[in-house]
Amino acid sequence: MNKESAYWMVLAHELPTWSFSNKDGWKNEDKMNLIIQFYHDKKMSIEDFFGLPEDCWKNDFLINEKQITDLRNAKSSIANYAFLSENLQHNGIEVIPVTSSEYSKTLKENLKKSAPVIAYIKGSRQIMSNKSIAIVGSRNASDIALTFTDNIAKQASKEQKVVVSGFAKGVDKQALDSAIAYKGQSIIVLPQGIMTFESGFKSYYKQIIEGDVLVLSIFHPKAGWGKDLAMARNHIIYGLSKEIYVAESKPSKNRQGQETKGGTWAGVIDGLKKGRTIYVRQPNVTEKNDNPVLIQKGALPVDIEGNIIGRSETIAETLTEIPNTQNNDKSFSDKVKEILLHGQLSANDILKRLKLDWKSDKLTRELKKLDFIETRKEKNKIYFALKNAKQSSLFD
Amino acid sequence: MTRRDAEILLRKTFGLPNFYDEQWLTIEKILNGERILLIEKTGFGKSLCFQFPATVFSGTTVIFSPLIALMRDQVRKLQSLGIATKCINSEQTQEENTQIINDAKCGKIKILYIAPERQENNEWIEATRQINLSMVVIDEAHCISVWGHDFRPAFKRIINLVNLLPKGLPVLATTATATKRVEKDIARQIGDGISIIRGNLMRNNFKLFVIKVDSDDEKMIWLGKNIEKMPGSGILYAGTRIDTEIYSKWFEFLKISSTAYNAGLNADSRIAIENGLMKNQWKCIISTNALGMGIDKADIRFIIHTQIPQSPIHYYQEIGRAGRDGEIAYIILFYNPNDDRRLPEAFIESARPSIKKYEKVIETVKSGLFGERELMKQTNLKQNQIRVIKSDLIEQGIIRETIYDKAKKYEFIPDSQPLNTKSFEELRAVKTKELDKMLEYVETKDSRMKFLCDYLGDNSNDMFTNCDNTGEKKIRVIVTPEWIEKLHDFRENYFPELIVESNDSNIVNGIAASYYGVSNVGNAIHKSKYENGGDFPDFLLWLTLKAFRKKFGQETFDLILYVPPTISGNLVKNFAEKASKILKIPISHKLQKQKTTKEQKTFENAYLKKDNVSNAFYYTEPNEISNKKIILIDDIFDSGATIKEIGKLLTETGAAKIAPTVIARTVGGDFI
Repeated sequence: MNKESAYWMVLAHELPTWSFSNKDGWKNEDKMNLIIQFYHDKKMSIEDFFGLPEDCWKNDFLINEKQITDLRNAKSSIANYAFLSENLQHNGIEVIPVTSSEYSKTLKENLKKSAPVIAYIKGSRQIMSNKSIAIVGSRNASDIALTFTDNIAKQASKEQKVVVSGFAKGVDKQALDSAIAYKGQSIIVLPQGIMTFESGFKSYYKQIIEGDVLVLSIFHPKAGWGKDLAMARNHIIYGLSKEIYVAESKPSKNRQGQETKGGTWAGVIDGLKKGRTIYVRQPNVTEKNDNPVLIQKGALPVDIEGNIIGRSETIAETLTEIPNTQNNDKSFSDKVKEILLHGQLSANDILKRLKLDWKSDKLTRELKKLDFIETRKEKNKIYFALKNAKQSSLFD
Repeated sequence: MTRRDAEILLRKTFGLPNFYDEQWLTIEKILNGERILLIEKTGFGKSLCFQFPATVFSGTTVIFSPLIALMRDQVRKLQSLGIATKCINSEQTQEENTQIINDAKCGKIKILYIAPERQENNEWIEATRQINLSMVVIDEAHCISVWGHDFRPAFKRIINLVNLLPKGLPVLATTATATKRVEKDIARQIGDGISIIRGNLMRNNFKLFVIKVDSDDEKMIWLGKNIEKMPGSGILYAGTRIDTEIYSKWFEFLKISSTAYNAGLNADSRIAIENGLMKNQWKCIISTNALGMGIDKADIRFIIHTQIPQSPIHYYQEIGRAGRDGEIAYIILFYNPNDDRRLPEAFIESARPSIKKYEKVIETVKSGLFGERELMKQTNLKQNQIRVIKSDLIEQGIIRETIYDKAKKYEFIPDSQPLNTKSFEELRAVKTKELDKMLEYVETKDSRMKFLCDYLGDNSNDMFTNCDNTGEKKIRVIVTPEWIEKLHDFRENYFPELIVESNDSNIVNGIAASYYGVSNVGNAIHKSKYENGGDFPDFLLWLTLKAFRKKFGQETFDLILYVPPTISGNLVKNFAEKASKILKIPISHKLQKQKTTKEQKTFENAYLKKDNVSNAFYYTEPNEISNKKIILIDDIFDSGATIKEIGKLLTETGAAKIAPTVIARTVGGDFI
């Protein structure tokens, strides 16, 4: 257990949160900026940071009076959090701060400064470093959507990819059950505090100890289920996954009885806005759901096996192989974009990752046709990168 | 705060004139937010080192203490000084504890005593979110170390907690008993720049004696002759629960006021005995080492051991409670070179079950989520064995104990290291060495106090003149025919009780003719049962009837029943028939088995024994039983599961009273 976990918990949970009614509150980004300042720039531990006199906070970190008051209040509860932290430790729950090498790299890369300050996990940490896909969809999904979910989970398990799901009814539950049935690995992302998941830990005991299931939550360990939490949890599911598959987006009714687009819809729209590639199952004409609208908005249609519609590749192929004809420019450029999201690469690296048997000058020619690529020269070597992309990602 | 200012406050709040230098040194560091390990002898005034700063701090000081009796005592004292002090413990009602937790949350409590086990309690963890915590104290900190004499797994959690506390929050660990090795181990575990303050552990008001004897009889005779001559009241430590029973019956026989105490007693009885001790209700309490640390009585005038403890550190700890008032206290150790090494050796040997058993537990934990009871059932291991195994596996990070639905379950920890048995061997080697050291104490020709101080790592150059090697007279046992006769009489009339009474059964506590294995009774039973020796010999019948008459002679009975056999044919039936003829009470053969059971001795724990006999019996003519007073006969009484099961059946069938009478009671797992 991280001996600073009580400090991290305080930073995550004890600072007043920004909202429309509390504009002095802390946004996640503000916390991340503070972490970058002390951890990244000043190479200081969180314990040392909290041990600094308030003058230093003010002068060296340029923290304003209101925030200093917030930090002071938070500091006074570190001892209280030590008790809770010990309890977590005793129950095999780990607190993973964003600065830890155990923290999911995918999560960090996808969410940047909106990545959670800490993640609570129980299970094999290893799961977080494996390739992952999310399968999302409605709580009252149709049979065909559940079959789709099963197909995708089966294929993912075969390819040793982790299935990330949200432990709701319907698609989430199917994704988890299928991954377990096919001896794959799963991450359950909770819409609640991790200490309130007792019955789940009981049900998945064997899978957890065998290293097949990891339970993750970003909320206060004792927080009960809430709608806000469920929405925030969807963001984490997307963040934890390299690929996102949508089984079915359906309208649902809120507590007032009004029809809403539902959580899946909101998640996909948000994901598309952020430039994520999202695969949506192409429904039959008789189905009533919002999948077609999502496809219209830019999600990629896939068939019941997860193949991109109009081509005959399996999911595996779409991910790992790029057809080497000029006709497939679009998918080539998509793939290049995707692999460069994580940073610059040399021509050879790109050839390897895309499994192309081209000569490197052919690749260079093709890359130069793409307007979002720039070349960089470092120590006489040429690298390709996305225009305007930062050299390295956060906290690396 | 200067020492002067502090002492002004000290006079005002505690009514004490000033601090000792070492006390002030400690307090100064606490006020400065440091971490300290304080090793000082009993009676030094360690408590003041945290009680005083606790009254200065604005928030609440939490004291982890394993000893409920001591907690209660301290709370009483502090409350009388007007300091808001409470303790939370398992012997108070849920409502009381909840009220105290609420008070703590509102800042109404300055000093809060709790048991380390409380970290398991949800309500407490919830409360810790709101308590304004000023300091954490770990009392009896030697319980942290496996190298100490009283390692307690619950303390592991306190160490984890302390390591998670923020810098600058003062932490004080205290103990009266720590060797250098234990000291280092505690300091390492609490870590982070801890300072160690170690005082002089010498107790110069002790008078130390060793009495060498050739038999248990000599111990009993010397005690019978001399205990009334000892000043005040004191404690007699016996090696096993059975021994506490035998000594207390011996004293009862001699009309010496005494009472027996052991961990098997329920909370109410223990509290009653602790209170009685405080009021000098008895000349002496006869106890296993379950009693000791928890007693805060200043004027214990003598402590006598009938068995050598496992190590000098156990011994120092157990005698430590004597003479806290500084007046003379007599410290006597009996030693029988022919026999007395056996028991502590057995403790050390049986301290670790076989590796196979460890593996069995690991496999079971991997196969599902189980609590202790289910683990015992699945593995057929004894409770004390499973507890040792669990604690080792937790210590090694192979399993963890978690709470599901308010019940403890054991989880396997993925990717954990394989079982490390080297540490067991290392520990066993150390314990054996410590036992050798204890024997050296017996044999030493030099100062006994100096021997103990050296062992604990004290570098004292005091002159020691307080033992039978340094000026005090040697004690020898003189056995006279008169006392041999008395002892013989006692033995002839002493019969072990069978404790089986419960609220929902009409069964009463029964009687056995003897302990199995203590006399020739066991051999005789074994011969008949397992070596085709024929019926139980008549002397067993006479002895059993004598026991029966002593216990139940004043009562009338309607019927004799006997436990139907598993493998021993008609032995018990024939035995019961003979008893029926002599007592002139009719016998019935209608108590029968309705399912096949296995021999109880094949099951290692009470749960499996209970399951084995559960619903195993029926009575063919239930109407005959109604309102009857019944004698229930069997050969061997072990866990009592069979007798209790039959008691339940007969109660349901309407029996008014069931009085168990057996030939022998096993010594079983009743070690402590």
